[in-house]
Amino acid sequence: MKYLSPEQLAPFFASLEATHEVRLPILLPDGTRTLGHPSDGPLALQGGPLPGKPTAAFFPHEGGVFTAAAETVSTPPAPEKPLLVAGFTPRDLACLRFIDRFFADGWRDDIYFRRRQGAVIVGASGYCGPGGSLIPCADGECDLELVADCARWLVVPYTNAGEAIVGGLPDAAPDGALERIREESAALADVNEVLILRASELIRADRVPDTFWAEIGDRCIACTGCNLACPTCTCFGVQDWRYAERVERSRMWDSCQLDGFMREASGHNPLGTEALRTRRRIHHKLAADPERWGKISCFVCGRCDTVCPTGIGIFAVARELVERFGSVGGKAGSPCP
Amino acid sequence: MNHTLTVCPYCGTGCMFYLVSDGGRLVGVEPSVTHPVSRAGLCVKGWNAFAFVHHPDRLTTPLIRRDGELRPASWDEALGLVVERLRDIQGKHGANSIMFASSAKATNEENYLLMKLARGVFGTNNIDHCARLCHSSTVVGLAETFGSGAMTNSIDCIDQAKVILVIGSNTTEQHPLIGSRILKAARSGARLIVADNRRIRLARHADLHLRHRNGSDVALLNGMMQVIIAEGLEDREFIDSRCENYPALAAAVADWTPERAAAVTGLDPEDIVAAARLFATAKTAMIVYSMGITQHSHGVDNVRCCAALAMLTGNLGRPGTGVNPLRGQNNVQGGCDMGALPDVLTGYQKVADPAVREKFARAWGVDGLPEQPGLPLTRAMDAAAEGLLKGMFILGENPILSDPDQGHARRALESLDFLAVQDIFLTETAQLAHVVLPAACFAEKEGTFTNTERRVQRVRKAVEPPGEARADWEIICALAERAGYGGMRYPDPSAVMDEIASLTPIYGGIGYDRLDPHGLQWPCPDRGHPGTPILHVGRFTRGQGRFSPVDYRPPSELPDDDYPFVLTTGRTYFHWHTGTMTRRTHLLDREERRSFVEINPDDAARLGVRERDQVVVTSRRGEVRTQARVTEMVVPGVVFMPFHFAEGAANALTNNVLDPESSIPEFKVCAVRVRRAP
Ligand code: SF4
Ligand code: SF4
Ligand code: SF4
Repeated sequence: MKYLSPEQLAPFFASLEATHEVRLPILLPDGTRTLGHPSDGPLALQGGPLPGKPTAAFFPHEGGVFTAAAETVSTPPAPEKPLLVAGFTPRDLACLRFIDRFFADGWRDDIYFRRRQGAVIVGASGYCGPGGSLIPCADGECDLELVADCARWLVVPYTNAGEAIVGGLPDAAPDGALERIREESAALADVNEVLILRASELIRADRVPDTFWAEIGDRCIACTGCNLACPTCTCFGVQDWRYAERVERSRMWDSCQLDGFMREASGHNPLGTEALRTRRRIHHKLAADPERWGKISCFVCGRCDTVCPTGIGIFAVARELVERFGSVGGKAGSPCP
Repeated sequence: MNHTLTVCPYCGTGCMFYLVSDGGRLVGVEPSVTHPVSRAGLCVKGWNAFAFVHHPDRLTTPLIRRDGELRPASWDEALGLVVERLRDIQGKHGANSIMFASSAKATNEENYLLMKLARGVFGTNNIDHCARLCHSSTVVGLAETFGSGAMTNSIDCIDQAKVILVIGSNTTEQHPLIGSRILKAARSGARLIVADNRRIRLARHADLHLRHRNGSDVALLNGMMQVIIAEGLEDREFIDSRCENYPALAAAVADWTPERAAAVTGLDPEDIVAAARLFATAKTAMIVYSMGITQHSHGVDNVRCCAALAMLTGNLGRPGTGVNPLRGQNNVQGGCDMGALPDVLTGYQKVADPAVREKFARAWGVDGLPEQPGLPLTRAMDAAAEGLLKGMFILGENPILSDPDQGHARRALESLDFLAVQDIFLTETAQLAHVVLPAACFAEKEGTFTNTERRVQRVRKAVEPPGEARADWEIICALAERAGYGGMRYPDPSAVMDEIASLTPIYGGIGYDRLDPHGLQWPCPDRGHPGTPILHVGRFTRGQGRFSPVDYRPPSELPDDDYPFVLTTGRTYFHWHTGTMTRRTHLLDREERRSFVEINPDDAARLGVRERDQVVVTSRRGEVRTQARVTEMVVPGVVFMPFHFAEGAANALTNNVLDPESSIPEFKVCAVRVRRAP
C-alpha cells in the first residue's frame, strides 16, 4: 500500500497533468468547493461530497451535441488527454456506476462516453468528511481510492490504470490503518439510508396517499435544483441555435419538476400538477427504478437536500413520509404514535 | 474550466453563483454555498442565467438607421452620431429636450456614469430608470415616513419573525429565494398573513389569506390600524419615544371600523380583526410588500400605510421586523442609490440643494449642475408623445413592452427626433431606434449590483462580449469623451466606485477591496464600517418616524357595464420582464411559451370559455388576443395577465394613469372585457 502526505497531494495531482486532464475538488474564493483544474484553486479533498455532482465532468450542465454548417456536421472533439476525476465518495461512485449503465444501455450515448471512456476515477474516503468525519471506504468501484487517515492519505489502487498511476509512490508500512478504517466504515450506520429504504417500501406498498404528494408539491418552488444536483438524474433538454453560417445543437440538464418536461404538443400534460411531478421525482428513484434496475437509484448522497431552498429534498420527504405512514399497522394518514 | 463568482442578473434577491466557463464559453452555473441569501440554492432563473449569453441574436455591432433600416456601422460613426444628434436637439430646443433612461439591469457604476453624463455633460436632470415603474412610490413613501426609501431589514430577518405579513408580493415566484425562506419560516412556526387576492403559493400556506379587492389596501390597512388602536394593542412606548404625528393617524383611522373596511375591501370584518390582532400581538412582526402595493395611482399612500402599521406596533429597528419592500430588478436598488433619478444625485442627495450641486460640480470639474428636478420616465413618455421631448437615450430598457398603454409608448418613441438604444438584444424598443449600441451582458463585465437588502455585491467578467459589443460603462465613457468631456477616464469600474464612495455618504466605505466575498450592506459610511443589516435601530434616518395618515382613494378605472372585469398585471416565475433574456433561454421559454390570461372558472363558464381557448381582452386603450387559463388563482371578476409577451402584450391594455407624487403607473388595476376569440 502507498501513501501521500497532505503536502504531497497537490504535487501528485499536478504531476498527472502531463498525461491526464485532471479535475479535482478545489476551494473557490467564497469557501464553496467544486470540481476544477489543479491551477484553479487550492485542493479541497477534505470536506465530504462536493455540492455539485462530480459526474458533471462527463455530463456537463450544458454541452455541444453537433454543429452543422454548409456541407459538414461536426461533433465536439474528445478530450485530448483522458480525464482523471478525483473526489468521488463511495456514494458518488455508486451513482456513477448507475449512470454508466444507463448511458450504455441500448442506445449508447456517445457524447457521454467521449469523455467517460478511459477516464481515471479517484475515490475519496476515510476521515475527510465534513468536520473530519468518517466517509466509509469504497473498496473498489474506482481506479484508486485516497483514504484519509489521521496525518496522511492512504493510496489504494484497484485497477491496472490505478496501479500505473501510483506505482512510483512510497510504500506505507503495513500498520493496519486501512483495515481499521474499513472496520469503522462497516460499523457506521446511515440513518438516511435506512429512511430511504423504508420510504421505498412504503411507496411500493401503496401506503402513501396522493394528498401527501399534493402537500409536498405545494412547497416546491420548481427551482429544479434537486434534479440538477442529483448525480443519478440524467434527463436533458435539447436546443438548436441558428447562427449566420451554422446551426449549433446543444443539450442541457433538464428537470422533471418543470411543467414543460412532459407537456404534450396539445398542451395536455400527464404530469400536469405539482403533486404529480413531486410524486414522480421521488417515485422514480424509490419505486420505478427498483423495478427497472433492481435497485433504488437514490444513493443517499444528500445533494438534493442541501440544494432545495424549501427543505423538501429526498431525505426530508422520506422522513416525513415514514413518520406519517410508516408506523406498523398504522392507518395511512395518521401521524406516527 | 473557470469558476467566476458573480451576482444573478434577474431579481433583487441578489443570489450569488459561479459562472462555469470552458474555452471562453459559459457551460453552467453553480450556486454559492456560503452566500447568506442563496445558501447553496438558486431559483430556476438563476440556474439558467448562463443560457442566453451566447445566443445568436446577441447584438455584435453598432447599428445606424439608414433608408429606414438598421444597418451595421462602426463605433466611431455610431458614437459620433449619438453625441451630434443629442447636442443638436439641445441646441434647438433646450437642455431639457432630451431624456436619459438608465437601467436597473446595469451596474451601479454604469448607472452612476450615465447620470454623470446626463447631468455633468449634457446639463439635464432628465434621467430616470425603471424604478419609476416599480418602487418609486416606496422611495417617496418611506423617505417621508422613515427618511430612507429602502428595505429596512435583511432577508435573514425572516428567520426571526414571529408573524409575517405579505401584502402585494407573489414572493415565491418573484423573489423565489426570499419566498422559500418565508415558506420555511411558516413551517417552523411563524404565522403568515397573506393579503393578495390571487391564490398564490404563499397564500396556500398562510394562517390567514385576505383576498381583498384590487386597490383597496389603504382600507384594509387603515381597518387593521383602527382595530389595533381600539383594542389598545399599539406600542405606546415606541410611538411616544420614536415617532411623531401620531394623533393625526389615530384620528384618520378612527372611523375605519372593521365593518367599513370590510365594505370597501370585500373581506369579512372578522378577518380584518384577526389580522390586526395577530400582527399587533407578535413579538416580532415583519411586513413584506412589492408591486401589489406600489403600482397604483395611490401607491405612495399604500406605502405610508405599511410604514404606519409597522410604527404603530413598534416593529422597526429590530431583527425579525421591518417594512420590507422587495426590489424587483437585480440592481434597481443600486439604480436609485446611484441617482439615476430626476431629483437626486447619488445616495438621495437632492439636486435642489445648492451645496450638493456644488460638491458634485467641483468633483466632476464642471461649471455647474442643473437645479430643476428633471422628468420622471413616465412623464417623459407623455412629453415625447406631445412633442415636447425630442431626443432620448435608453440604456437597457424596453418601454414598448414594459410601459403602460403600449399604443401611447409607441407613439411617444416614434414622435422623437432621435432615439438611441444601448442593449444586448434588438428589443422591440431598439427596433425603433436611430442608433443601436451593442452592450456586454452581466457575464461579460465587471461592476457591482446592490440587492434588495442593500447589499452591494461584485459582478465579475467570466467571458468576452460577442463581436464588437462593449461594456455599458465603456460606451458611456466613450460618449463623454466624444462630447468633449475629459472627466470620465477610468482604468476600470473599481475606480468609478471609488469616485462614488467619495461623493456618497451611504456608500462612503464601499470599495472593491472590501466586497469579497459577499458584499456590504449600506449605509456603510467609512472604510472601517461593517455595513448595516438593519436600518432605524434606536433612531430613524430622519430622526423621528413620521405617521402620514391617508384616506382611501379607489383606483382610477373601475369595472363598469362595458368593461366588467378588473385586469391586474404582473409576471410569471419563469420569465423576466419583457422576456429579452428568458425567452431566449430554452428551458424557461419552454415552460411559459405564450401570453395568457387567468380567469376564474365561474367567469369562464359564463363566457363559454374553456381552458386554453383563445380569448380577446379589450380595454379602453387596446385589444389583445391571448390564451385563457381557467383557474381558482383569481377571484371572480378579476383577470390576470403577465406582461412578458410581445404577442398578446398586457401593456396594450393597461392604464397610463400616474400616482401624483411618485409618477408610478397604475399597472395593477384597469377595466377590461373578455370574450372568446372568433
Ligand atoms: S440523495 Fe438526492 S441527489 Fe443524492 S442520489 Fe439521492 S435523490 Fe439524488
Ligand atoms: S429543489 Fe426543492 S424546490 Fe427545487 S425543484 Fe426540487 S423539490 Fe422543488
Ligand atoms: S431568487 Fe432571484 S437572484 Fe436568486 S437565483 Fe432566482 S432570480 Fe436569481
